[in-house]
Amino acid sequence: MANVIAKYGATAGWLLLVLLTGYAVMNLLWQNIRLYPSIAETDPVTIHEARIAQLRPLLPPSGAVGYVTTVENGEIFAAEKTFTNVEFLAQYVLTQYTLAPRIVRNSPDLPLVVGNFIDGPPAPGFLEKNGLVPLRDLGDGLILYRKDRKP
Amino acid sequence: MIVFFLAPLLLSLISGVLLTFIFLPSPKNDLQGLLLRLFVGGGLGICLSACLYFVSLPAGLSGYIPLIDLAACLVLGLIGYVLMKRDRREAERPAESQLPDRKAALPGTGSKLETWIATIFAVELLASLGSFLFAFLKEPHGKWDAWLIWNMHARFLYRSGEAWREVFAGGMDWSHWDYPLLLPLSIVRGWKYIGNDSIYIPAAFALLFTLLTLGLLLCALAFLRSRIQGYLAAMILLGTPFFIMMGASQFADVPLAFFMLATLVLLCLPARSPENRFGATVLAGIAAGLCAWTKNEGLLFLLIVTGSLFGTTLYADGWRSARKKTVRFLAGTLPILLIVIYFKTQLSPANDLMEGFSLTVAAAKLTDFSRYAEIAKAFFITGISFTQGLIDLRVGMQLNPGAVNILLLIVYLLLTGVRIDDRDRTGLVRTAAVLLMILAGYFFVYVMTPLDLGYHLATSLNRLFLQLWPSVIFLFFMTAGAPETAPYPGDISRTASKPSTTKPAKGNKPKRIREPK
Repeated sequence: MANVIAKYGATAGWLLLVLLTGYAVMNLLWQNIRLYPSIAETDPVTIHEARIAQLRPLLPPSGAVGYVTTVENGEIFAAEKTFTNVEFLAQYVLTQYTLAPRIVRNSPDLPLVVGNFIDGPPAPGFLEKNGLVPLRDLGDGLILYRKDRKP
Repeated sequence: MIVFFLAPLLLSLISGVLLTFIFLPSPKNDLQGLLLRLFVGGGLGICLSACLYFVSLPAGLSGYIPLIDLAACLVLGLIGYVLMKRDRREAERPAESQLPDRKAALPGTGSKLETWIATIFAVELLASLGSFLFAFLKEPHGKWDAWLIWNMHARFLYRSGEAWREVFAGGMDWSHWDYPLLLPLSIVRGWKYIGNDSIYIPAAFALLFTLLTLGLLLCALAFLRSRIQGYLAAMILLGTPFFIMMGASQFADVPLAFFMLATLVLLCLPARSPENRFGATVLAGIAAGLCAWTKNEGLLFLLIVTGSLFGTTLYADGWRSARKKTVRFLAGTLPILLIVIYFKTQLSPANDLMEGFSLTVAAAKLTDFSRYAEIAKAFFITGISFTQGLIDLRVGMQLNPGAVNILLLIVYLLLTGVRIDDRDRTGLVRTAAVLLMILAGYFFVYVMTPLDLGYHLATSLNRLFLQLWPSVIFLFFMTAGAPETAPYPGDISRTASKPSTTKPAKGNKPKRIREPK
């Protein structure tokens, strides 16, 4: 056995390596080719960015704005930590990614608040409770609010 | 437009290559030597340019970055030219190449086996580039961490203009503003050149670091072992779907993997070219410093490499040599480390892993052995499966070895046998020690983590393993017997054990290669 390994071991080694790496590389390429027709013409981040970018001219060039969505603000990060829902966090992060260098705070307590309701409206009474008054409805669940100091 | 797109990359590449001419002077600049310079220098150059950009920010000179880059390039070129002239004069006297003697290091060069393997490598490279392209088309902004951390930071730094400092105190802890800025600043520098924050710049850097890591692995092994070993090692990396995926994802893990590999490779070079101990060790120090400027894990790596360098040199060559080598290494690290220290003390918010740290909490975690068991299990499963890609967080960690994984390397080593050049022994012990210690370091970071352990392991461990993967492959192929030792049909004349006709270098020990048992 030792003699066989000594004689053919190196050849077997590189052959095995070439075959398995070749399989792995081609398999990855094949999977990508197979999935290519199902890839959306525009990726979700670009779509989300185009949607949120409508807010840019309505906001000051710097400073902070608030953020509200379908769920309470506290649930956005909690849902991701428990792997139950990453969508709300992704929407929040992409809103920040698009609106940089403005800071998007995960809170309704700012003079201007971005409402991102792509997954449905918030719980009844949520907006009234936080004194949020619609300033501009940009459609597709995107609304800019102003915080009414005296709700 | 394309000129402005390529200019920051080209200027950085040129600066880096010139840096290698300064620190690794070589009278023989053949294709092989130039390629090694290109891959080592390319990565170092890109990131040193980012350091230069960071220094220009507080000075208010970021608008002049093309001029600063050009000036740096010219200065390095001038220094390189002067040193080259001096070396050429010295080369007229009998002297040896400063880089390893390639002829002696390349048994079997040009064999049929090499041609076959090179051809297969080329096909695999093209297929992997195709996969990379598909991944980019699917997610041009990169994956989650790219737009949550790296590209987000780049956007803030680019769009904030003079108010760039304010973002660090912006309270966006979830975006990890304590993470080092090498990658974001490299991207910002590219955007400055083209005048807008195009998505193609982060993607170009992602592709570049993927190729640089691959090229460095190939060229380093081609220099230190043989071209065939280089191709096979690079094929292992290409056959790692997670490497291609992470490369295209625009994360900082592949750049960190590059700098870790560059550090360990550069620390192995002096054994083959004793007259060039100084330069290679300084460059290794720079590369290790850049690890710390790429990701927080890089700080742990820097600490471990410095300790291992000192320890292994002390054991092999004594106190004097250990002190000298460590000082040279730290001399390379110091400029980058100063930048990291400035960033960590003046700009960066506290790291989330330090949240709520106290001795009582630490003691409780250190004595909770269920944590050790959970981490050990995750290390085992991920160690075998990480090459296959991201974990489905809803399903959790599952054993998924795929075609290419650490077991393949072990089988390859068993088949080819161990063949270590005596000159490489200390370097290889050091490389192995660094990799094992960093794994131990990661283990204890998980033991102490304030985050939910399962969440932390599931979202980061596979990327930590990927950072070490190119260095692990390098270590395996530096240890494994070369396939060209096996008789190849129609090509029996060339073997690795064929005695070298090259006269041993002055000061070099004659090569003693241990046959596989």
